[in-house]
Amino acid sequence: MGILTAYVGGAYNALRGEVLVLPSRTAVLLFGLLLFLVPLMTEHSYYLGVLTLACIFAIFAASWDLLSGFTGQVNFGHALFFGVAVYVSALLNIHLGLHPGLTIPLGALAAAAAGFLVGLACLRLRGTYLAFATLAFSLIVAGIIQAIPGTGGTLGVTGVKSIQHLSESVVVEYYVALVLLVVLGYTMWKITDSKTGIIFHAIREDEVTARASGINTTRYKLLAFCLSGLFAGIAGGLYAHHVLIAGPSTLALMISFQAIIWAVFGGIATIYGPIAGVFILFPLMEYLQRAVPEYRMLAVALIIVLVMLFMPEGLITWVRDKIEKVCPRCKLRNIATRRTCRVCTADLD
Amino acid sequence: MPPGGADAFAGGHCVIVRRAFPMIELKLILINGLISGGGYALLAVGFSLIFGVARIVNLAHTAFYMLAAYFVYAFAKLLGLPLPLSVVLSIIVVVIIGVLAYRIVIDPIRGRETTILIVTIALAIIIQESVSIKFGTAATQPGRLISGYTTILDVKVFNRDLLAFGVATITLLGTWVLLMRTRLGIAIRATAQDREVANLMGINVARTGMITMAIAVGLAAIAGAVKAPAATPTMWMQPLVIVLAIVVLGGLGSIKGSFVGAIILGLAGASVVVLFPEHAFLKEAVALAIMLAVILIRPEGLFGVAFEEER
Amino acid sequence: MNKLMKLIIVLLVASLAAVAVGCDEDEESTPTPAANEIKIGVIGPMAYIQGEHHWNGALMARDEINAEGGIMVGDDEYQIRLVKADSNEITSPTDAVSAMERLITVDEVDFVVGGFRSESALAMQEKAMEHQMIFLGAGASEVELNTRVAADYDKYKYWFRVSPVNGTYLTRISFMLTGMVAQKIGALTFPDAPKIAILAESAEWANPLVDAAQGYFAAPPPNGMGLDVVGTWRPSQMATDVTAELTAIEAAGANIIYTVVSGPLGVAYTRTWGELEIPAASVGINVEAQKGNFLDATGGYGAYETTLNTYARVEITDETIAFYDAFEDKFGEIPIYTAGTYDAIKILKAAIESAGTLDKDAVVTAIEATDMIGPPGKMAFMGTDTDTPHDVTWGPGSVTGVGVQWQDGELKCVWPDAGGSLDPVFYEGTVDYVLPPWVVDALTE
Repeated sequence: MGILTAYVGGAYNALRGEVLVLPSRTAVLLFGLLLFLVPLMTEHSYYLGVLTLACIFAIFAASWDLLSGFTGQVNFGHALFFGVAVYVSALLNIHLGLHPGLTIPLGALAAAAAGFLVGLACLRLRGTYLAFATLAFSLIVAGIIQAIPGTGGTLGVTGVKSIQHLSESVVVEYYVALVLLVVLGYTMWKITDSKTGIIFHAIREDEVTARASGINTTRYKLLAFCLSGLFAGIAGGLYAHHVLIAGPSTLALMISFQAIIWAVFGGIATIYGPIAGVFILFPLMEYLQRAVPEYRMLAVALIIVLVMLFMPEGLITWVRDKIEKVCPRCKLRNIATRRTCRVCTADLD
Repeated sequence: MPPGGADAFAGGHCVIVRRAFPMIELKLILINGLISGGGYALLAVGFSLIFGVARIVNLAHTAFYMLAAYFVYAFAKLLGLPLPLSVVLSIIVVVIIGVLAYRIVIDPIRGRETTILIVTIALAIIIQESVSIKFGTAATQPGRLISGYTTILDVKVFNRDLLAFGVATITLLGTWVLLMRTRLGIAIRATAQDREVANLMGINVARTGMITMAIAVGLAAIAGAVKAPAATPTMWMQPLVIVLAIVVLGGLGSIKGSFVGAIILGLAGASVVVLFPEHAFLKEAVALAIMLAVILIRPEGLFGVAFEEER
Repeated sequence: MNKLMKLIIVLLVASLAAVAVGCDEDEESTPTPAANEIKIGVIGPMAYIQGEHHWNGALMARDEINAEGGIMVGDDEYQIRLVKADSNEITSPTDAVSAMERLITVDEVDFVVGGFRSESALAMQEKAMEHQMIFLGAGASEVELNTRVAADYDKYKYWFRVSPVNGTYLTRISFMLTGMVAQKIGALTFPDAPKIAILAESAEWANPLVDAAQGYFAAPPPNGMGLDVVGTWRPSQMATDVTAELTAIEAAGANIIYTVVSGPLGVAYTRTWGELEIPAASVGINVEAQKGNFLDATGGYGAYETTLNTYARVEITDETIAFYDAFEDKFGEIPIYTAGTYDAIKILKAAIESAGTLDKDAVVTAIEATDMIGPPGKMAFMGTDTDTPHDVTWGPGSVTGVGVQWQDGELKCVWPDAGGSLDPVFYEGTVDYVLPPWVVDALTE
């Protein structure tokens, strides 16, 4: 009993000290809680379906951020990881009848392997060259998949089983996606906050210096590709079991572009930026699809241009910088209303 | 199975003597490759130019190509202007739109690589959607300066393609002379080499960037107005991929590289169609594979410069 | 960026937004809810002509039925209300699935008609079946859509295909049409057999047609056509330029090109074919050539292009010409095959009235018993003992499909021809197929 009290107390202190002190973290917490409560408000399969897809794409966008935002290895063919996992999960499920609990991790592993291969091939490339090389990988696979037997060509494969068959409820499917989003999002955020994350950062800022400091940048770049592939792969596996088809459209240019759009719109190198980007843009697209189908792409493109023009660092980053400021001495974040740093008490202005 | 219509020649099922194939295949590859390569070159050189000068990867580049085709359609078919005038007007209008887009949305975010990527994609989508709202998604015919074809080395070539090839050659030569022999060209090249130093040397880099954008969009517009086949709002996507492959293959920012890359990929595409007709759809994949093979061996492309100092 | 510039941008966007909001009000968004209503969802790629004709066909059926007093369910009169859903299926199957889900669970429609791209149609079918929603397809030819019904009847019985006839029959009638052309060409190449090239877009639905064509064209009669197949070209669906393909086909010496093309490629292809005067008759499936603006789109070079179609302005049945003209009057366009939503809704009405209830299973049983004269022919569905249950029945006396050719600026029916492969089927108003003059010139030189 005493242990439990101590534990709860510790959790409460952590909550107060680490989360509630910053409006951004509080917002993330509240938003997360809100998402968990949605099924209490509506069990409508359409709305939950949209949110489930948003969760899946949020994992996907965040995985792009992990690689491209943090490590600076701009990946223009992120759909490759997604598509590979979609196909692997779907084919394993259809032909071997494997449970989604197995097909999703296996698909993710395949995507991680794809990440490793792409990363290995592109080690010497940088910047725009790297971006276009990764783009080429995804498009080449999208092209030759039509020539590979068993993939269903341009039609894709169908007959994937849904996760919800476990209990015949969209709510379950939604919670699976949401829990995965929370867990994976937190994991990714923790990775970027760890020593590895700092090295990723260093590679982005100055690879030569990082190498000169004794960091095996090759290994870390490959690690970033693998991890990013892995997370994108989990999103892909979930997608396969949600939409129930695996088609070449999952490898298309637009999927890659969308990941970048969501991430940059929200704000890169934050993990939560891309997630927020998806939760803003994806439902917005759905809404516009219904309200003004002819104008929806135009409207979304205009919004993106405007946001990027006025908030080039991304919407969420912009908002965060309005409500929080960085302590000039210890570099920790503080709520904008504070005069002194919450940790080192240095003056904030 | 149905009876078909074979009775008339049922008795005549005989051995067919094929023509000397290797020769004609070579001709097909050469002519089709050069013609499509010339078209690609018009697009790729402009793309490369604006990247070299302003470090802008303009993914909306080929959208201007599409836009030009639609303006020709609008001027000639909807307003009833004479075709040559429509072509000239459309090029002018598209250049103006391009420069405005550069001033208003691209230039302010210059230097932020990923932001530029998504803003230019968004720009391309804005252009695509505006066009499809105004003109619909069905294929339309912009009208042609000249029609018909000429037979060269036993291969039929569109006169419009010949014209486009001629225009491409002349414009590219013109661009070359402009870059190499004029003060403006020196300014552009200086800015491409080192923006800051160029600025210090008294070159108005902002203006240079704008002029370069005008030239780049102009080249794309010429391609769209003169060469484009049936116009559809999504016709910018496929050329964009090929153009990306070309400029990376040739070396980003290198005009010569873009030209050579365009010819190589033009020939490669034609080879796929002629030699592997059942896999003609792999044209793009093959182009991209060639590009990958080159940059994996030579990361800066065929004629590119490794921008070490950028980091 | 200076203040002025920002102001300009904001004003620009505001005006655009105002335009967007101001000019978009669909007639369907503000209905007066009738006492009794049957809601039918129309799903398709609304930004494209396929979706547009889905919608137009449905509108026509609704107006006709509602004007005649709606649908009688028992003694109650129900008015039809349509709900439009843009599936965006050409670019995104994900969007298509969402759109289907929305129709079913948000708009709560009673029935769904439409669908076009096979990859998306399969996904939408899956979604509809999950909700036990009756879905009448009018656009996708993929055979698997209906072999599924055979494989798992209880799950997939809510799916029917109204238009077009399934891929197997498309193959068969496209061969008959090609056979007619081959006969004409054969008379000129005699004693040599005509040479044929196959040009098919690289899409899954085209594969069975290509495989069958390669075998059937080359096999000597009576098991085939005894043609000399010079090669198969498979450009990408998204290709915008097929000049290289066509010059290669010419170099291979082809006299006939058998086409299997559903996308915008059809326009670029025909234009290039006509303008380069490739000396080979073009025949097969080219969906673009079904559209009224085809000649314009090809810059006039679309003349002589020949394709399969569902509709033609001939007396397939007593209703065909009336439907064709009414459609053209109302929408200023001739119907393409996705306007089969018209037939789908007519079939639904008949089935509901004969079932006397809106109960799903009863309506399915009633649709299975459909026997109705419609514009494309006498419509009935294949039985559960066939490989493809719930597929519109093909054959003489049922829906046959037609071959149409662009002649003198008009889309004319040229097949089934008198005394031809489908003898004695002949529709009043059908004209003779005409070889392109440059093909004749090349062969008689």
